[in-house]
Amino acid sequence: MCFTQNFWSLLISGLADGFLYALIALGYTLVYGVLQLINFAHSEVFMSGGFAGYFVLQATLGSHTTSGWGSVGYVALGIAAGAAGGGVVAFLLERVAYRPLRRRKAPRLAFLISAIGASYFLYNIAGKEFGHNALEIPAPFTNLPWFSIFGAPVQAYYVVIAIAAISMLLLVDRVVSSTKLGKGIRAVAQDAETASLMGVNINRIISQTFVLGGLLGGAAGFLFGLNAGVVYTMGFTPALKAFTAAVLGGIGNVRGAMLGGLVLGIAENLPMGCVQTAWRDVIAYGILAIVLLFRPTGILGERLGRAA
Amino acid sequence: MSDPLELTEIPERTVTSAALPPDQRTPWHKVVHNDDVRRLFACVIGGFVLALMTGPEGDGINMLSGVDGALRFPHLGICLALTVGLWVLITVRHRFGERARTASARVSALPARLLPNAKFRGLALVALLALAIVYPAHLNGYWQSVLVQQVGIYVLLAIGLNVVVGYAGLLDLGYIAFFAIGAYSDAFWTGALPIHPPANLNPFWVIPIAIATAMLAGVILGVPTLRLRGDYLAIVTLGFGEIIQIVAINLQGVTGGAIGTGTIRHFALHVLGINYVWGLDPLPYYYLLLVFVVLALFAFHSLEHSRIGRAWAAIREDEIAAEASGINVLKYKVMAFAIGASTSGFAGTLVASQIRFFEPGDFTVQLSILILVLVIFGGMGSLPGAVVGAAVLEWLPQYLHVHPLFGFQQQDLYIYFGAILILMMIFRPEGLIPSRRRRIELGLAEHGIGTADAMTAGASPSEPAGLP
Amino acid sequence: MHLTTKRLGVPFAAAVLGLASFGGAATAATHHAATKTYTIAYEGPLSGGNQQLGLNMAYSVQLAIQQANAGKTFGKLPFKLAYKAADDQGSATQSPTTAQSLIGDKSVIAVVGPAFSGATKAAEPLYHAAHLATVSPSATLPALADSGWNNFFRVVADDDAQGPADALYAAKKLHVKSVFAVDDASAYAVGLVDAFAKRAKQLGIKVTHQEAPGTTQCQAGNGNVQQYGALATDIVSSKANAVFYGGYYCDFALLAKAVRAAGFTGYLMSDDGSLDPHYVAQAGAAIADGTYLSCACTNLGNTPAAKAFSTGFRKLAGFPVGTYSAEAYDATNTVIAVLKKLGARATRPAVVAGLHKVIYTGLTKVVHFQPDGNIAGSSVYEYQVKGGKIVELGMVSKLVK
Repeated sequence: MCFTQNFWSLLISGLADGFLYALIALGYTLVYGVLQLINFAHSEVFMSGGFAGYFVLQATLGSHTTSGWGSVGYVALGIAAGAAGGGVVAFLLERVAYRPLRRRKAPRLAFLISAIGASYFLYNIAGKEFGHNALEIPAPFTNLPWFSIFGAPVQAYYVVIAIAAISMLLLVDRVVSSTKLGKGIRAVAQDAETASLMGVNINRIISQTFVLGGLLGGAAGFLFGLNAGVVYTMGFTPALKAFTAAVLGGIGNVRGAMLGGLVLGIAENLPMGCVQTAWRDVIAYGILAIVLLFRPTGILGERLGRAA
Repeated sequence: MSDPLELTEIPERTVTSAALPPDQRTPWHKVVHNDDVRRLFACVIGGFVLALMTGPEGDGINMLSGVDGALRFPHLGICLALTVGLWVLITVRHRFGERARTASARVSALPARLLPNAKFRGLALVALLALAIVYPAHLNGYWQSVLVQQVGIYVLLAIGLNVVVGYAGLLDLGYIAFFAIGAYSDAFWTGALPIHPPANLNPFWVIPIAIATAMLAGVILGVPTLRLRGDYLAIVTLGFGEIIQIVAINLQGVTGGAIGTGTIRHFALHVLGINYVWGLDPLPYYYLLLVFVVLALFAFHSLEHSRIGRAWAAIREDEIAAEASGINVLKYKVMAFAIGASTSGFAGTLVASQIRFFEPGDFTVQLSILILVLVIFGGMGSLPGAVVGAAVLEWLPQYLHVHPLFGFQQQDLYIYFGAILILMMIFRPEGLIPSRRRRIELGLAEHGIGTADAMTAGASPSEPAGLP
Repeated sequence: MHLTTKRLGVPFAAAVLGLASFGGAATAATHHAATKTYTIAYEGPLSGGNQQLGLNMAYSVQLAIQQANAGKTFGKLPFKLAYKAADDQGSATQSPTTAQSLIGDKSVIAVVGPAFSGATKAAEPLYHAAHLATVSPSATLPALADSGWNNFFRVVADDDAQGPADALYAAKKLHVKSVFAVDDASAYAVGLVDAFAKRAKQLGIKVTHQEAPGTTQCQAGNGNVQQYGALATDIVSSKANAVFYGGYYCDFALLAKAVRAAGFTGYLMSDDGSLDPHYVAQAGAAIADGTYLSCACTNLGNTPAAKAFSTGFRKLAGFPVGTYSAEAYDATNTVIAVLKKLGARATRPAVVAGLHKVIYTGLTKVVHFQPDGNIAGSSVYEYQVKGGKIVELGMVSKLVK
């Protein structure tokens, strides 16, 4: 009874959450694919994207309002800005917190600590510079129920997320499966040493992988901030959830991250008709634990190399 | 990007230019020159970052006010002078490399020379223990409290997690959950929760019960999840930590919910005519903690060098090989997990009993991550490392609170914390005091043999290198 | 055994080196000045997740001390005042240590804080034992006043005063039939919403209660922003005609946006944690308009003292006045008023005794403490967002007549 009550509404919000998780999860999965490392600072890449989108829209749109194609244009501009911001920070992150350690062949946990350090540093310095209160991104559109599916209202914001995320996910799938960069990424993921002997520039591939993940994470940061506002701590929970999603789908696997994101988004929304909001994360982690007990490497298995 | 050394994953030290094809061979001075320029670039960027870190706070209205204030002339100039000066020092050291390097190696070998034989070390140990007993009594209440609540508790937590992460190589991100279980057991058995225990226990006897409860929780969580490897285990334990906190918040009728517990009783001992109550004064708790830390150090040290410790090392280095050679991998993993959990549980009991109150907000994921940082910062798998790492990182912020060096502001604490972690991992990834075994493993890894730790998920990159 | 001693030697060496440096610290803390100097300390979160709330208060304390030293607020004083900040990160486990640092500093004559209820509960036994007065600007947990600490004071009304007033206003003035109450799982909000729900039921309102943990976005808990989408669906389908939120402005803004986007048309109500211009900024004026907010405090208004406070705060802190800033300012000035009376011979116990008798007219209210440390005569005022501004409507007890 409670499960069917708001089924369609909850499914729609679940899909919207899922698309965001999928975009962020790709950043984790791509990096994991080539380095077998969890990029703990990805949450701050996400945050940077949010702030970049905020700054650009503040400078262009400001306190004006817009509609129709203007809205589409500003959303696209914001996504581009967010992606650029995320990409730049991801690039710098790899240079500062990863490459020096790789050069020294540091143990994997050292990478984990330097990534945690980078995360602490980035979000706290953002808090110092930009204040500790959430900032509203100037709204390119008014977020009201737009149309309905089976009686469930669909907000304009959810439509924006769905369109933006689907196009980016398709694009990434193309990039990984059929471009030169994608081949390089898959080659490094399968066997870095052989790839390097074959003339693949591993450093460049790793750097580009970080940037690719950063572009997606930054764009997701903007899309997230569009509704929730941007603030220095915005990255923590979404990134944790996205990491969960990446593991759920099979970390290191591009399509796994997409699927994991959607599954997690839907799974943590659908039961909300029956249980208190506060139990949401318990459900999310419970599902993760159950899936991992039966499929120890996630829904689709873990290797990036075999993804496409 | 035409630096040939950047092209390959082959460790720099093993590459002589003769090993490269002739067209990629670069004169050595050119390589050094490029490195110098790269370092200068890094130092200049570092100067700007330092200026931002130490600059004024943004006002939250004009977005660039903080950045603007930080990049003004005198301030930026000082920061740049500092980092470029550092570059000069590094460059000089590299130009006249060998002599400086041997000098610094001699300095870092000093402790070993000062403690030449086992007998001397034994004496030093006794002297240190005596100092650890006598000295805190002369500190004021604040430092005694720091010694218990910050330094002591985290030292205990770090050596416990060291068993899990350092010895057995299991990445546990939900370590604080066992701390919470210990604390809640204490609250339950002393009647400070809304649900009442079958019998109100003398608070001191809560310790073994809390330890056993935490250990049991470790086993219950460990048996199903320890089949998972590496990062999968990390995320499941992280989820467990979150779940424990959420349950503690939501089961208001059982745990007291977000408001926290009632007043917990202090430890008290009433046996054999001895009546002693641990009061508000931190010092008695310090001695209790000291006893347990020393016991734990002895226990873990002898475990490390026992059959069990060797099994852990085998699992850490190559789980599949360990399994093939007949080690019951799951059993030893669960054992490490349970030992870690019970240590954490005891720490929770002690905190609950000393402060007499806690709330679920005290058990965040960030705290689990912090304890992991302490262990790796100190040197994974090394008891001295875990102790020193925890002591330094917990003591430093408190010291800075009292002595704000260079205009240190308390709200900037985590900026510096993050920066220190990155720099530390770049320049000393093995931690402050690495264990000898770990150092050997790392050395091998640096030369392309083995993977330095067992944190690799699945069997992916463990093709051992047949590289030169 | 030899091996054991060898391995264990190093940690002890390090530990003792650490201890040696403690010693230096222990002696350096006290300093003497020619004129009598009293330190008023502030304990609250300065780093970590609850930083912003803590800074809102810290700068107020500092400002009140600066103004008093300059002779602006109390005329010429026979002593100098010093300011000391102690960071407890809002955490109950850190708080006792922080308290020890203030107790150990003999120049500290009174403490403004601790800011959070949990931190207060953990540290108060120590302050009590040291006869050091604490005046909290923001700890609202009712039980804090029942523990028999005669040194505990607070300038805010506790949750038992505010929650029932909100329920009364919803029932009598807004004629709400069914309310959806949400708390952010903080000690503050849980107590407040429980008190609200209890009174609302007595007044015949149907109450649905859900807990939605404060989000990391708002640095208030471990919840995630996405939860509000599903929660809004629940709220709309519950057919409630009012939402009452217990918590802080940032999460309330997220909830307000979510329920409006889901098509909710009823009343939005919240507490003093949401009485902050940032609520309007973050939710957007269009969504925030019409929201009812309550507080056991009056509007700062346009008095010269209030203006001097907000401009002074802006100048000192770099950001505008926020939640609990005015309360912290009042708390500090109350302490200074007591010190002024005691003159150069103030002691910690004398300050405690003085606070029990003080009557001081502050910005938010006339500060006068009941014997248990609660503020006397805590009337609750209702506010509403109109045209993007928060406007005071009046005292709840008068409005519902």
